[in-house]
Amino acid sequence: MVLDFELTSELVNDVLVIKTEGYINNAGGERIAKEFEKYLNQGITKVLIDIEKSKVVNSIGISFLIEIIEQLNERGGKLYFTNLDPSIEKTFEIMGLFQFAEKVDSVEDIK
Amino acid sequence: MDQHIKLEIKLPKVTDIELVALEGLELMGRHLGIPEDKIGEARILVTEGIINALEHSGSDIPYVNVDFTMTKEKLVILITDYGQGFEPETVEEPDISGKIGGDNKRGWGLKLMKSMSDDFKIESSQNGTRITITKKLS
Repeated sequence: MVLDFELTSELVNDVLVIKTEGYINNAGGERIAKEFEKYLNQGITKVLIDIEKSKVVNSIGISFLIEIIEQLNERGGKLYFTNLDPSIEKTFEIMGLFQFAEKVDSVEDIK
Repeated sequence: MDQHIKLEIKLPKVTDIELVALEGLELMGRHLGIPEDKIGEARILVTEGIINALEHSGSDIPYVNVDFTMTKEKLVILITDYGQGFEPETVEEPDISGKIGGDNKRGWGLKLMKSMSDDFKIESSQNGTRITITKKLS
């Protein structure tokens, strides 16, 4: 089980792609939110979070993703997810995240 | 008779200590050949149950007891804290529309545990709280 949380980020056209590895807990969620904030003043409105390498999440970590959804909403943007573990996808469904965010297969699916 | 395995652990209030319980859960699941999708959902239940209990465990007895009983058919998770307890019926059901734009984005634990389990019970008093979660595995 990966204990340390790591992330990488890159711009793919106009989409900020954040790839995570490890437990998305309080600290992991905060790291994602801070990474997103680095790009905020560049006018980013589309963010894709690839969580293929994060098999464990908790609701405190997800609360930081709700903050990102909120900030993107205010700018007419959207948060996307890819490579969701089925249990994490079910968690997001229960929380209603897909009312505001979207699941995609890859960054190419984001218009 | 179905094989029945148990794990009982006492977890101190230490950052990410729930990962210790998850490690045990995954080893038990592998031993019994439980499908990965069921273990994935059990992971969410265990994580939410433990972080919720640790958050409410108080400072006098800052640990929680976690018991797993697993067969090929079901997992029963028992999580006990020794905090001041709470009244579950007074906990407001979270809603994503209310959370977006609201100050408090947290408070999802009970909803996730109720929704993802097959049975969920809370017993709470001023001496602590015990939650019993049942998850079908087949």
